[in-house]
Amino acid sequence: MYALVDAVSFYASAEKVFDPSIRHKPVVVLTNNDGCICAVCPIAKTLNIPKFEPYFKLKKYLDQHNVVVRSSNYELYADLSARMMAVIGRFCSEQHVYSIDESFLLFSQKLGNWREYGELIRSTVWRETKLPVGVGFGMTPTLAKVANHAAKKLVGFNGVAVIDNLEQAEYILKQMKLADIWGIGSRLSKRLALLGLSNAWELAQQSAKKMRDFHSVVLEKTVRELNGEVCFSWDEVKQPKKEIFSTRSFGQRVTDKFNLNSALITHADIIGRKLRQQNSKVKRLLIFAHTSRFDPAYIKREYIHDFVTPTSDSLNIANAVSALVDQIYLPNIQFYKCGLGALELVNASFTQFDLFELSREKDLLMRSYDAINHKYGQGTLYISSAEQVSQWKMRRALLSPQYTTRWLDIPKIRCI
Amino acid sequence: MKVVPIYASAGIVGFESPAAEYTQLGLSLDQLLIKHPEATFIGIACGDSMQGVGIFDKDLLIVDRAVNTKQMSVIVANYNGEFICKLLDKNRRVLLSANTVYKPVSISEIDEFRIEGVVVCSIRNHDMPFHELTECMR
Repeated sequence: MYALVDAVSFYASAEKVFDPSIRHKPVVVLTNNDGCICAVCPIAKTLNIPKFEPYFKLKKYLDQHNVVVRSSNYELYADLSARMMAVIGRFCSEQHVYSIDESFLLFSQKLGNWREYGELIRSTVWRETKLPVGVGFGMTPTLAKVANHAAKKLVGFNGVAVIDNLEQAEYILKQMKLADIWGIGSRLSKRLALLGLSNAWELAQQSAKKMRDFHSVVLEKTVRELNGEVCFSWDEVKQPKKEIFSTRSFGQRVTDKFNLNSALITHADIIGRKLRQQNSKVKRLLIFAHTSRFDPAYIKREYIHDFVTPTSDSLNIANAVSALVDQIYLPNIQFYKCGLGALELVNASFTQFDLFELSREKDLLMRSYDAINHKYGQGTLYISSAEQVSQWKMRRALLSPQYTTRWLDIPKIRCI
Repeated sequence: MKVVPIYASAGIVGFESPAAEYTQLGLSLDQLLIKHPEATFIGIACGDSMQGVGIFDKDLLIVDRAVNTKQMSVIVANYNGEFICKLLDKNRRVLLSANTVYKPVSISEIDEFRIEGVVVCSIRNHDMPFHELTECMR
């Protein structure tokens, strides 16, 4: 039996943990640079606040309804996520943390009452971390995800749902849209709708082979999983990324070459770190900077750099980027966003070297670099040309305190 | 608190330190004071109402959400949208201060009241004011 445990509106719920004054208020959280709404708490959902809408468009409406608006407090969310995962992990010997707020559990033994166990997980996580979670049990990872959806979205489940037989699967799948199934995006669901499928149950009734021919092996596996046959393993659930991007919009527009360069070098550093984490190297790198799409004249500058020998050395990537900044940069342009994309990746264990070009990888240096930053915090060591200038740092005007990671921010407890 | 174990060695030549075999992690306050790390948070006391149990203004409070309350536990609660620290008189359903200046507070139906956790210990600085302590921990 599999379980998927995840937090209800994680970012918005995390904001409520150390601020009791907003526990019963509608809360929304904004993305990087306070651009869009990325999390809506259940109370705010009753006001029909949509996700991923630009903040400025909804600001008036939010003010009218006294909605509490917060910038993304990643320091707080990371700490609360770790606490939540640790509590959930106590309930099963095999845990797979899938994302910041989702975790799979694999039970090899049968339990008497899954529903009761799910309720115990829920109440314990709430008690110890003050984060609300939903729990879904299913015979396969996909059905666990389906049950989790039912637990939170369908009437009558109250946070816990169990799919331990096909009748129960049918009952729930008939109430679910195609796009709510794990791995089926809105585009694929539209294509499936053209085949005449209208809900998740009808997809489960399709021949698995037919679905492979129609779209992919993954869709075939999804159909099999909906019918109770386990096809996905943890390794597949967490594939190494095929592309890695690091991009961010500037807090304030950037017009000079120095700041553009330092922003791009910071992205080079991040890309290098992510490559090393998943044991990949980059062959082809995209470098870009552009103005805002809302500007009268939208200008986008991008270049592709091919490495002779694939690399995961932050310094090599930074050198390549620095060499291209002159071509990206244009005077009198107000850049709004820039970034890098590692487009072609290779496995670092099977790198093809070049006969004439010696590798400039400093593996040992990078290993020490990562170890030091891991131990003493990201940013302890950094590439000096990436020196942060406040101008392009993230804008987080509505940031809550970092209650659990910064001494000056610890919660105040009244003794009066 | 992170402890970095450093192994003693006698340099390039010579004998290895006879103590090298006995290196252990240093004492950790976390290990002593925090039984449930994921359920514990640290707050700062603001006010003098709990002086009778030894909690003074600006003391650090270690609050554990996993511990069960007992009669007269020192608790932190969400009382009408604020974190407060009180003694919990379960029998009479009132919150008591540990300072005669403050009257007991009875919890009524209209109050928002939820126990957040139990104050398992408090930390008092005797020589260094809190703001100085936090300056070096920025």
